[in-house]
This record gives sequence, structure tokens and C-alpha cells, in this order.
Amino acid sequence: MKPVKIAMMSLTHGHTRKYYQTLLENAKLDWVASCAEDQSAKETYELYQTGVPCYLSANEMFERHPDIEAVVLASANDKHLAQVQDCARRGVHVLSMKIPTFDMSEYDAMIAAVDKAGIVCQIELEMHYNPVVHRLKKLIAEGTVGKIVSVQATNITLSPVWAFPWQGVPEASYGRRVPLKAGDARCRGGALCDHPHIFDLVRHLTGADFDFVYSSVAPNLRPELQVEDMLLVNGKLKDGTAFLFDPSWSRMEERLKVPGPGWEVFPKRMEVNVTVVGEKGTLVCDCFGPNVYHNGAPNDRYTVQYTYFDEWIGMIDEFVGCIREGKEPLINLRWHRPTLAAMNACYDSVASGGPCVVS
Amino acid sequence: MAQRARRGIEMDVEGMNTALRRLCDKYGVAVDGRLVADAELAAGVRLEMVGGAVSLLPWRVERRFAELKKLIDGKTLEEVSTLRFAVMRNGARLGHLLYREFDLCEWMAGASIRKTFAVVAGGKVANVIVTFANGMSASVECSAALPEGAAEIDRHEIIARRGVACDRVVDTQVPQASIYAFTADGTKTYTDTDAELFGFSDAEIWAVRAAFAVLKAPALVAEWKKAGCDVKEKVMQTLACAETCVPAVFSEEI
Repeated sequence: MKPVKIAMMSLTHGHTRKYYQTLLENAKLDWVASCAEDQSAKETYELYQTGVPCYLSANEMFERHPDIEAVVLASANDKHLAQVQDCARRGVHVLSMKIPTFDMSEYDAMIAAVDKAGIVCQIELEMHYNPVVHRLKKLIAEGTVGKIVSVQATNITLSPVWAFPWQGVPEASYGRRVPLKAGDARCRGGALCDHPHIFDLVRHLTGADFDFVYSSVAPNLRPELQVEDMLLVNGKLKDGTAFLFDPSWSRMEERLKVPGPGWEVFPKRMEVNVTVVGEKGTLVCDCFGPNVYHNGAPNDRYTVQYTYFDEWIGMIDEFVGCIREGKEPLINLRWHRPTLAAMNACYDSVASGGPCVVS
Repeated sequence: MAQRARRGIEMDVEGMNTALRRLCDKYGVAVDGRLVADAELAAGVRLEMVGGAVSLLPWRVERRFAELKKLIDGKTLEEVSTLRFAVMRNGARLGHLLYREFDLCEWMAGASIRKTFAVVAGGKVANVIVTFANGMSASVECSAALPEGAAEIDRHEIIARRGVACDRVVDTQVPQASIYAFTADGTKTYTDTDAELFGFSDAEIWAVRAAFAVLKAPALVAEWKKAGCDVKEKVMQTLACAETCVPAVFSEEI
């Protein structure tokens, strides 16, 4: 299989650095160029010494590397529409970060652009390539716990806003400035926008879509943020499955400009735990554990040293396979749309104070 | 397949070789060797290459050990003093258990073992105190006395002037699992660590990863060969000295 000539764009997303190793090592890829959103993103990129040239303009990058076949859009959410349309116009395949856009008219414009160009557009929901999630899906498919009646899940992390400031800016994260609710100075665009995984996963595990959601925000742990950092969600799927999600930024962090050792204050900076209650049994699942643990430098705090990092490998494998074999990615724009509709409904529920039907 | 090795069933060597070829193809590495079952080795397999057989040290590529080693090499831990290693298994050879732990000891300590004093009981348990050339110490607890059907228990703790690291979380005595399934059939656990080799047992996964590491970086052949020979000799002498209740002392070059 001819290696796919790939590039990265913007380099401002929190997941940017996680692609570097697999883009360099996978023989099915030829990482030819990157372009940064600004000088600051370029300087951060250069710390990692990938050896791949980096530009400050997408036009310049595409002009100098006309053989680019695919890009990873590692950008803020409000950049995605223009970038997807630009890539579609150029016939370049796209791997988009996890929130293409929360604006459903923009979302449909992306679908139209991708369809017209006939390109692959995969959405970055990396949990599907995690070996524990693979096992969880297998156990459920084999009927280990019978029909699912309830799913409880956490997708809790530290807040990345100090390293990736756009995640705390409502216009960049949510797409526009929408107050959470009357009398609340905060806007949509915080922790919920960072944590679509469990909303997506529950649809895969059950095969059902959302019926209604109820969501409530708590006082922020970081009162200076313009966006929510603590919220809870419950509701039902259309097959009657009950669920309860915690998609908060409930783990505190050191306010580092570049993520690195000592970022976390709580020992485990990122957790996705899933409990599946079925008619014949219960599964409890830690998608990122067990690991190894230490209390060494730089802060002498008890800290999880992760041993799970396969997600990016499998996701890129699928992306390459879809490009070369003309397949539809598991997480494509159409599949992902109801997930974002449910997340929007969570914000509507926060605003109304009551449950909200997911349309 | 994941539970096979724990039940003492032979490795799926054919499947492992297929997986090895797949990895080599994916990452552009020449397939210059194949795995062959070898019950005389702690790894359970050896890598046959054109230049001869290579004894694999799969634990050196096992993720938890690789991360512990990174914590030492990256100076997250400063001035390591003592290692506290333990392994309990059923149906294993005591020598094989010691072989893995001794090699992990030397690899983590970054120094060779100079002296051991072992107390052995019933041919199934060995409690060893180790002294390294750099002055560090280690305790190594090995037991092949777990009952049939019991899952392996192990623990690797590194104690430094700055920091302690361990592959077991605080306040626990046995390995945790990623998934616990509670059904009418009882409780079953699942821990999957490698998406590219999903479905293989841990022993199979790390053997394939070790073979891949050797094929990718052939310089490992000589390094692992020397390490493996040295450790094998030290295990034999340690167990022999235990019978006479004297320490085993090793010169710099064995």
C-alpha cells in the first residue's frame, strides 16, 4: 500500500502532540508537513523536534507540498468548518478533532462539502481504539450481561485551558457566546465540549440513540473561567436504557503552558470509567487502568504514569485504510451528528432547568 | 486466548508469528526471524534468526516495566536505593521466576548483581536479598506455590531518595484489572493492554513485542544475549549456594 502523504494543521488542539509518534512510525504514512495557527503554536511544535517542516500558512503548506493527500485538523472548534471546506475543495481527506461544530447548520454544510468532494472525513473519537473498550464491546456483544438496562460513565480530566486557551473561550469552543442560563455569567463551551466520548460510546454499546437528557451545572472549581467546568448529565436512550454521565473537569491541574510532567494535581489526570448494568450481570470498567504509580519529580505528588496509549495508532490505521480502500470511517460525520445533538440538548437542559428531548 | 497462558496452555506460536509479520509489515521492518516454542526458557519462546537463536527478554518491553524504567532514566526518581520485587505463580519453575526478576533488577538498577543470599523452601519458594555493583539493594520474593487456577500476583517497587514508584496502586496487594464482570457465573476479570495484539495472552503479547524490538533494532541481539547468559548463571549459582547457606558472589565478568 502506497503511504498516505499526510499533514497536520493548526496544532492548537490538546491532542496535537499525541499524533507525532504514530505519524512518524507508521510505514503507511508519510508525514510531509505541518502548519501552525500562529507563532506560539509553531514554537511549541518545534519543542518536539519531529523534523517535519512547519509553516504559518495553510496556503503556503499546500503550495509547497501539492502531494498532501490527507490532514489532521488539530484546531479549535471554530476553525473546523472553514478548514473542512478548504480541504474538500482541494480534495484532501480530513481527520477532524472530536467536535466538528456545535452549530447544526454548519455541521450540515460540512457533510455537504465532504459528500460533494468525495473525501474521507473521520472524527477523532479515539476511545474506540482503546483495548479495554474493545474488550468491553466484545463482552457486551457476547451477551455476558444480557440486555443493557443502565450505563454510568465518567469522562473526567483536568482542564486543558491554560495550555490550550481556546478551550476556555466560548466563541472558539462552542462557536458563539451563549449564556449557560439566566443569571449565570458563564457560557457554553467548557468541560462538556471536551468530553463527547461517553455520549458516543453509549450509542455504540446499546445500538440506541438518545431520547432525553437532563443536565445540571455546579459552581466552577475554577471561578475565573468563562465556561462550565463541573456538570452532570442523566437521561434515557430510546431503548429505555438509563444513563448517568460525569463529563467534568473535576481534576485540578498546574497551569502549565505546555503539558508535561507535573501537570496533574490529582494523581489520575484523565479517567474514563464505565459501569454497564445488564439483565444478567454488571461490568465495571476502567478504560485507562491499571497503570504504574510514583511520587517523584517534579512535584513529589502521587501520580499515575499511564501505560495506555494505543488509541492514536488504531485511529490512524483506520483513517489510512478508509483512504486507500474507499471505506466509511466508524465515526463519520453522519454517525456523530446525534451525539452532538445530545450534547447540545444538555446545554438546553441546563438553560431550562428541566429534561430536554433530543431531536 | 487471553486466559490461555494463565491456565498453562501452550502459546499460540503460529498466531504469534503471524502477528509479528503484521507488525513488521506495518512499520517497515524486515522479517528476519521467527518465534519457536522453547519450554526451557523463561519467555517460553526464542527468536530464530539467520545468525542463530536469540533468547528474548519480553519483560523489558512490557509497558509497566518500560514506564518504571522511564521513571528512573528520566530522573523522576532520584538516587534509587532499593528494589522490592515479588512474583507468585502456579506451575512455574522457580528458576524461571528468578530469571525474570534478576534481569529486571539489573535492568532497572543499571548495575550488575554482585552478591545474592537466597533462602529456599520446598523447592517452590525463594526469598533473596541482592546487592548490586553500585551499592543498591533488592529483595526478590519468588513463589511457584500458588494453587492451580490462581492468577499471577506480582509487585515491583522502586524506592529512591526522591520518590517511590510501583506497578501496584497504593493500598492494594494484588493486581487490579481493567474490567470486572459480575454475573451468575461469578466474577471474571479482563486486562487488555495492547490494541494491535488484542486477543493474545500477556505472555504472548510481550514475546511478540520483544521479537519485534529485536528485529527493529538488531543491536539488541548482543545486549540481550549477554544479559540473558549472565542472569542465567547468577540464578543457577544463587540456587546452588542456597543449599549450603552461603552468599553467592559474582565477579564483574561472569
